[in-house]
Amino acid sequence: MTNRPFPVLRARAAAAGLAAALALGACGDIDIPEYDNPSIEQLQGSPTPAGIRAAAVGLLIGAKTDMTNRTGYVSMLGIVGRESYTLDVSDPRYVSELLVGPVTNSGAFGAGMWNPRYANVRLGNIILHALDAVAGMTPAEKSAVRGFTKTMQALDLLLVINTRDANGAPIDVDTPLDQVAPISTRAAVFARIVQLLDEGRTDLAAGGASFPFPLTPGFAGLDTPASFIKFNRALRARVDAYTGQYAAALNDLSQSFLNPAGSLAAGAYNVYGSGSDAPNELSNPVIYAHPALETDAEHKPDATLDNRVLTKLVHVTPRSFSGVTSDLQFTLYPSNTSPVPIIRNEELILLRAEARWFTGDKPGATADLNLIRTTAGGLAAIAQPASDAAFITELLKQRRYSLMFEGGHRWIDARRFNRLSDLPLDQPTHIRIPAFQIPLSECQARNLDSPCHA
Amino acid sequence: MRKRTRLFVLAAALALTGVPAAAQQREISGTVTAAQGGQPLAGARVTLAGTSRGVNTGPDGSFRIGAPAGDVRLRAALLGYVAAEQSVPAGQGTVAFRLATDALRLEQVVVTGQATSVARRNLANGVSTVSGEDVQRAPAQTVDKALQGKIPGAVISTNSGAPGGGVQINMRGTNTINASSDPLWVIDGVVVSDARIPSGQNAITKAVTGDNASVQDAPTNRISDLNPEDIASVEVLKGASAAAIYGSRAANGVIIVTTRRGREGRPRVSLTQRAGFSEVSNTLGSRSFDRTSAVAAFGPAAGAFFDASGQPIQTFDQERLLAHRKPVALETSASVSGGTAATRYYMSGLVQDEPGIIDNTGFQKQSVRLNVEQRLGERVEVSLTSNVLHTVADRGLTNNDNAAVSYYMVLSGTPSFVDLRAQNGVFPNNPLGASNPLQTAALGKNDENVWRIISAGTLNVDLRRGEHASLRLIGIGGADYFNQDNGLLFPPELQFMAVDPQPGASLLANSHNLNLNLNANLVHAWNPHAGLTATTSTGFQFEDRDLNIHRVVTRDLVAGQGNINSGPSSTIFQNRARVRDFGVYAQEEVLALESRLLLTAGVRADRSSANGDPDHYFFYPKAAASYRFPDLAGWLDDLKLRAAYGETGNQPLYGQKFTTLDATQSIAGNGGVVIQGVAGSADIKPERQRELEAGFDATLLDGRAQLEATVYEKRITDMLLQRTLAGSTGFLTQIFNGGELRNRGLELALSATPLDRADLQWTTRTTFYTNKATIESLPVPSFITGAFGSTALGVFQVQEGRSATQIVGRNGRDAANAPIEEQLGDATPQWKMGFSNELRFGALSLYGLVDWQHGGDVINLTRLLYDAVGNSPDFALPAGISSPRAVPDCMPNCSGLERVSGFGTYTQQYIEDASYVKLREVALSWTLPRSVLARMPGRVQDGRITLSGRNLVTWTDYTGLDPEVSNFGNQQIARNVDVAPFPPSRSFWLTINLGL
Repeated sequence: MTNRPFPVLRARAAAAGLAAALALGACGDIDIPEYDNPSIEQLQGSPTPAGIRAAAVGLLIGAKTDMTNRTGYVSMLGIVGRESYTLDVSDPRYVSELLVGPVTNSGAFGAGMWNPRYANVRLGNIILHALDAVAGMTPAEKSAVRGFTKTMQALDLLLVINTRDANGAPIDVDTPLDQVAPISTRAAVFARIVQLLDEGRTDLAAGGASFPFPLTPGFAGLDTPASFIKFNRALRARVDAYTGQYAAALNDLSQSFLNPAGSLAAGAYNVYGSGSDAPNELSNPVIYAHPALETDAEHKPDATLDNRVLTKLVHVTPRSFSGVTSDLQFTLYPSNTSPVPIIRNEELILLRAEARWFTGDKPGATADLNLIRTTAGGLAAIAQPASDAAFITELLKQRRYSLMFEGGHRWIDARRFNRLSDLPLDQPTHIRIPAFQIPLSECQARNLDSPCHA
Repeated sequence: MRKRTRLFVLAAALALTGVPAAAQQREISGTVTAAQGGQPLAGARVTLAGTSRGVNTGPDGSFRIGAPAGDVRLRAALLGYVAAEQSVPAGQGTVAFRLATDALRLEQVVVTGQATSVARRNLANGVSTVSGEDVQRAPAQTVDKALQGKIPGAVISTNSGAPGGGVQINMRGTNTINASSDPLWVIDGVVVSDARIPSGQNAITKAVTGDNASVQDAPTNRISDLNPEDIASVEVLKGASAAAIYGSRAANGVIIVTTRRGREGRPRVSLTQRAGFSEVSNTLGSRSFDRTSAVAAFGPAAGAFFDASGQPIQTFDQERLLAHRKPVALETSASVSGGTAATRYYMSGLVQDEPGIIDNTGFQKQSVRLNVEQRLGERVEVSLTSNVLHTVADRGLTNNDNAAVSYYMVLSGTPSFVDLRAQNGVFPNNPLGASNPLQTAALGKNDENVWRIISAGTLNVDLRRGEHASLRLIGIGGADYFNQDNGLLFPPELQFMAVDPQPGASLLANSHNLNLNLNANLVHAWNPHAGLTATTSTGFQFEDRDLNIHRVVTRDLVAGQGNINSGPSSTIFQNRARVRDFGVYAQEEVLALESRLLLTAGVRADRSSANGDPDHYFFYPKAAASYRFPDLAGWLDDLKLRAAYGETGNQPLYGQKFTTLDATQSIAGNGGVVIQGVAGSADIKPERQRELEAGFDATLLDGRAQLEATVYEKRITDMLLQRTLAGSTGFLTQIFNGGELRNRGLELALSATPLDRADLQWTTRTTFYTNKATIESLPVPSFITGAFGSTALGVFQVQEGRSATQIVGRNGRDAANAPIEEQLGDATPQWKMGFSNELRFGALSLYGLVDWQHGGDVINLTRLLYDAVGNSPDFALPAGISSPRAVPDCMPNCSGLERVSGFGTYTQQYIEDASYVKLREVALSWTLPRSVLARMPGRVQDGRITLSGRNLVTWTDYTGLDPEVSNFGNQQIARNVDVAPFPPSRSFWLTINLGL
């Protein structure tokens, strides 16, 4: 290597090269995508059929989320409806907040059973927008997904208003994140649920022969657009009963999967698994059954207890904690993969009994009640109740045992028939709540005083 | 538009290029020697004063330089010595320089830009520099540990005593709440990774629910890979005013490491052999039981361990049975350096093996480095730095857990009277606990194995070189790649595994990271006369950082075999984070008025893929000035006033701009996507730090002392915060920019050579640092960050108007029986001091470094663990007290029973002052005299024997193992939580250095 100086020309070339590099670098694309998770923007902005299928399955995942955990729907409503206790020495709040009270509007208890439902509603709205933009799906496929999505959104809103009742709930939640929907009244929420179910039925009817995504075994027999309408109508019948629209209920039940001759267990279920398929957490040893479930039960003609008590409850070593005691536990969910009913034939028969009674078909109503009494409970048939009050008493009793610890039916029924005072108190200091409050974060987002309501 | 501006700058720079060099007309020869000792100084740079033309001295200190006819001035300079100038009249052909040692480092050149530097005597910022010699005085496992106590303005703390890394460096206070808390490490121009990748031990400890990794996994930080022996110097830019030119990643300061280079001359071989050992330096102790107290604490089964008189049959110091080893540690390193005028090289190798104080723990490192610089003609120099590193850190199982498996989690409930020792090679079950820590240590494995390559190529081109002006191109391309394997194996025969429904667990995590750097700089220097230099620099920097982590956890190990496919139940995780940055900068530095005035202004523009808009440039300006007043008074040689302002950023974390769906869930065998709770922000931008600092440096008493003082104020705005969303949106929280955090602080450093005689020298340096961080504005409700989220256990509460690191806990109950929650402590120390002294007496040298932290609180939950089972050494009520007193009545002398009785109502009994004084480093060296060297084989030129120690003594009132502790790893705010850490150790070393 000779020690010849670099020509100045070459120096200038180098300088020009650097300038070029700067200019290139400045223009270069340095964007990096999200690697760990699929982005919402993509599902919204440039949806693919595969993306929509994954999101539709996501609605089924969302539907089972926050249902079986200790602060989830079944467990929490079981406690306030005096079906269950959660006696956990490491967390006394299941007694101190839910039974002794007051139930506040923040934290996992008072503000629970809310966010996951609305997350699923948001996911549904994203799917509905994506369906408008997606290429590569047939109109029938789109219609099937649309009908499915609206039905699942209706279910989510129903679970929300079941917990908040007269406090209302937001429904127009398809907003940008910096905006919030007003809190709507209970009637408006039910109207929206009905609207979603009816639109969903129309969409499902145009949905072709099959869904373009897999449903779970929990929807066995209801897993085509045509058969899913039966699930849609079953939900609508429940809403009809909750809102006193009994004629509509009978009509909807006729289009549902109601089958007096069929298995009472037939219906739609949330299913659970292991690993990435979240387990059913209701088989938790700290969950106990309320002793009144046994003491209030009728006996069969052979003097043994109602079959539903014998099959759904079991005696265990008594546990006392924070002033409550129980020696009963549920056998409903024996493992962490046990399915949890969303709605099933047994409820539909009881809904028909209720609808028949209040539309004047009292013999038909009595027959439906007796069908449940005899087949589910092994009990003797009864004569037609003498009054509305007597019918309601009998109806609520059958619902209490048939739908035991399946999702707050006892509490909701007691509330809608103004019979909350029937719920037993274990201690004079305990309270009965008619509804959970709107979460504090919702009040704050709307600059409303806490507690807030519709 | 932008392009045209840049071209204009280039054109202007080129136009300023000066006149050609004057012709050489004579030759001057001479020597450069040390003023003290008189030994020849090789590698000194001799230049014609005021120009960049010069030569280096040879091994014998001699030089020959061409010079113009007539009177000239020559300047001789060498790092570590005060530069000297001499006039050489026209007729004189030889000259001799005698350079005095630069004890105060006034001559040191400090990096002030991406490619420019300024002599420390002119520097406008309070930049701290640690020389390689200071890094290597007492052997430290990692570079960051070697910096402890040496940098005013930095709090450097270890997270536990575990072998290897796990060190946090906080520069000038609390710089963020949620963004990165890591300083930027730049090695030879390449930004390298200091990632902390958790091992995944959480799958065993269950510190948090699930099998994924946790910050409680005691992660190492990857700077621990570096070989401290390779370091020539470390510069620390502590705040935005100095670091602005590094842009949106410099908010936590920049640490610039320069590795050793070869010097012209014959090959110099340096050999270092160290041998030492370490031992546990602190234990907690446990309660002395009699039968009654044992049965009360552990139930009737405990009675079997006591004899008829009620005394224990035997007792054990369980902690010392666990940390029983005093292992011999060995370290061998060697380097060869040298070169010719055209080629210079430095190569080094290191083999280090430091077993830990607990079985199956330890740290090993191997390193090979090659640094080569090659001149291609007069104007071009290329250089390559290349480093291959291998580190192994066997970490043991420590920190918080929920499975009673981590050593101290179990020891806290294991009384002294049970025998956990192996009998005939078989460990007994712990009769009073879920695991036997001696068995866990002996049979469990938590090993980290890292291979790493850091390599960079540099191109230096003197585009123009004139007497008064020069233009230089510096291009650097570098890569930093590492692969980190974490292998954890907890076999089925372990006590806690035998009862697991799926006995035996194996975890394999593989993390690989690639940092790519490319930057190019143009530096134009113009010095029309000796008193004025104007340096213009501009350039760009491109970075791509890609970290990809995979983990597999397998349970139910059929045959105890560790392969992750040898069990029926596996869980898989992957996390990836990739960011690309591009930045451009321009800077002007003017040294004027006979080098008394320095003016600097610059701006950096950055964009990053981590920002919401990857194409948007964020601008970070800086400006600084310093002025020196020479010879103000007889005792005041030189007073420099300085002030600097700068801005930097702190990027959003990867992914914060995305709102994503969770794709990890499935139902009935079908995967689906669901909404996640955290919404991203498409408009997220970097946090912004604005720092103003001012100070003075005074050189006193004929250069015998120097006082440096700096005050600063930093304001951090646009912080990355999370706001709570109404749940009806479908989301829970959203990232956004807002709020303001303020740091104010003071740094002092006094360096002096009180004694400077031929036979006795004493150099001393004292540093002082204090900082206060306050949350000035918080647009969200006060929130809890880090720790365990319950005020009963103490939390870090971010609250407007309060210290950023305040610790809030419970202090009694109000009328409604609700806990009263208030500030009970603060994790930030009130001040830190460092005292370093070196005494040289002939061939002997004694050095010591004391690190003093005053204030700062630790939440000591290890103490709560011991109290909760009645096993703390001071558990019993004191004499004369019959029933537990309320905590406020017995503090600070509460017994364990009183402390735990007050738990839930009071927290202050577990929030402890973490003040400490640590004897960090001690070294006694003997420089071998020539008479000894002459008798040694070969051509040994110099030699030194050193006895040294690290962390020998800690004075503290803190009752835990070590006041330097963080269960949650590196945390800007929520540090200082003590939960079952790895016990601390002290180490002793004998070192022999030989130079050939």
